[in-house]
Amino acid sequence: MLKLNPVRKKEFLDLMAQRGWDLLLFYGDTWRKDHFRCLVSVCFSGPQAVAVLTKEGEVRAVVTHPWDVEPVKAATSGAVTYAPRLVDGLKTVLHDAAKSVVAINGLEQMEARFVRTVKEASGTAPATATTDVEEIRRVKTQEELEWIKKAAQLADRGYEQFVRVARAGMTEFELVAEVEGYVKAHGAEDNFMLVASGGIEVTAMKPPTARKLQVGDSVITELTPQINGYYAQICRTLIIGPPSGKQLESYAIFAEAQQAAQDLLRPGVDISDVARVQNDVFRKHGYGEYTGAQYTRVRGHNLGLYPDELPHVLESVHYTCKKDMVIICHPNTYLPLSGYMVFGDTLLVTDTGCVSLSQTEKRLFQA
Amino acid sequence: MKRGLVSWDKSELPPEELAARLAAVHAIARNKNLDVFVLYSDVWRSNDARYLSNYMPYWNRAFIVVPRDEKPILLCALSPRVYPWIKTVTVHETIIASPSPPATLFKLCAERGWKRVGVCDLEGLPADLHAELTSGKVELVDIPRNEIRPAPSEVEVQMHARAARMAREVLEKELSNMGAQTDHELTGRLERLLRRAGAEDVVVLVSDGQGPPIPAYGAAVRPHTSVVVAIEHNGHWAKVTRNVAGVTSRLPARDGVTELREILSGPYSWEYMDDATTPAVVSLQLEIRSQNQHLYYGDTCLQGKEGLRVL
Repeated sequence: MLKLNPVRKKEFLDLMAQRGWDLLLFYGDTWRKDHFRCLVSVCFSGPQAVAVLTKEGEVRAVVTHPWDVEPVKAATSGAVTYAPRLVDGLKTVLHDAAKSVVAINGLEQMEARFVRTVKEASGTAPATATTDVEEIRRVKTQEELEWIKKAAQLADRGYEQFVRVARAGMTEFELVAEVEGYVKAHGAEDNFMLVASGGIEVTAMKPPTARKLQVGDSVITELTPQINGYYAQICRTLIIGPPSGKQLESYAIFAEAQQAAQDLLRPGVDISDVARVQNDVFRKHGYGEYTGAQYTRVRGHNLGLYPDELPHVLESVHYTCKKDMVIICHPNTYLPLSGYMVFGDTLLVTDTGCVSLSQTEKRLFQA
Repeated sequence: MKRGLVSWDKSELPPEELAARLAAVHAIARNKNLDVFVLYSDVWRSNDARYLSNYMPYWNRAFIVVPRDEKPILLCALSPRVYPWIKTVTVHETIIASPSPPATLFKLCAERGWKRVGVCDLEGLPADLHAELTSGKVELVDIPRNEIRPAPSEVEVQMHARAARMAREVLEKELSNMGAQTDHELTGRLERLLRRAGAEDVVVLVSDGQGPPIPAYGAAVRPHTSVVVAIEHNGHWAKVTRNVAGVTSRLPARDGVTELREILSGPYSWEYMDDATTPAVVSLQLEIRSQNQHLYYGDTCLQGKEGLRVL
């Protein structure tokens, strides 16, 4: 199992040499563990963890929970400092950092007191490395792709379970419990999942409520299991009972939009165009107004160690797609035909196009 | 990640309780001559926001803004499309879409003439928000957390106790049945049962008897397996640990047993606590050495000057 990513480590060392950084810190907190895990793939238990990469290639770490010491030490083969208060740990691990040029991946999320500690240790304000590291992370290594493919397979199986258990009378949170339990039992480390159910009154997805599913409901979900740190996502819509004409009409538009994105996505394409071709389908059908921020968020996003990586797929975002990026294209939005609907696959950019890592049938599901 | 049931049971958490907490913040604002008080929240630092307004974000950042002697306003980076739902589970009547909470705060300050802004644990803000807030546009006053959150109230204690009971009942029943062959299967069974019971979030860690509790990795469940279950129920965390062997210990620890004390009513879901007297809801995790194996046992307790009480 990948623990200390050697390919990434070399890329980060190259980045440090380019930028003139002596030390590169990888700061993760409970929400953004990815900033740490892109170098050290350990799902830590404490509120924070920091890995320190020196320009000579040494890796040290600070953890804030005693249970994290062993796994992080096993992953890094380097010194691991346990400090319940991260400020103390940073002082220890940076004791020889005076006059060093320090950069931090995840600096923006770091508590201000931690940044101050780094500054006091090195003598100058640390630089942010977040954007540079994100750029490196966008193109996945072959080993990372294997984990993402496993996550995509589990997303497919998780959605099978979703279809199997969804029924009228069940609450949204019971449905989520069944799927969460299933994907965890089959190896998911975590799962990001939103749902909604109902008709044209449904304008967004959110955490599950105690609402009971009813015949005629659209039940929408994005299901995002994580395997060894890496996420893949699937978005599908299920109807309780037979779908109405409007639900079928709506689904056909979403399917056409998603296929347009899948047909276009390849190296060299501007991500803005991947959004535009999806939105153009809605415009063609007279629903162009439902592609804006009032009704939707994004037409997709990058996937990896974080379930909502940049770049977002939006007409206002320009980024040239590269081989081995993993992107979900989902034209999810509200339509007056049947309310909020979702539909999307995890796509891997190849030499000449893209392939879907999702094997779940492209159709409007029925329970 | 929070993706279970987020709800507000008013019989469990009466609106009057939240009103009293808000009144205490208003009093601090008056005493410190603040125009407004601000508190940061994100998906994993939500305990303080939940305490004040019952806001429990499933994603993204937010500021809770409490103008002196007024109702709190939520500056939220989530889409306005979910605001109707947020209003059903919080006290917030006014929610302002804020991709940048500091920018919206400054706009409000300019519109309403607020000059002196109290910020809960100013140095604890994420660095980008801290830099934006401290750009000199308003006068900032750091308000320590412990001024906002005194000792846990009876309502809070009861809610933590309910979460602890849920975790304990499900975990003990599952371990006694021994239906799971692997740590993945066991984690899945616990997750399903706890979420069906209404848990908002669940974190399961498993020790194989050789090392500390870590996320499941496909290991077989054996007699020396220990399982840590942390759950959040209606915004209140509990942490309970049991082992298959059924080995228990006194809380707090006796000689020869390593003790880890974590606060469950702090800003994060859990974090180390070295103070054994300040009133707080804590998790006590014990590492028990037995026949060259490491067994774990723990529970959720109310810590007070008089000692510990298992909830």
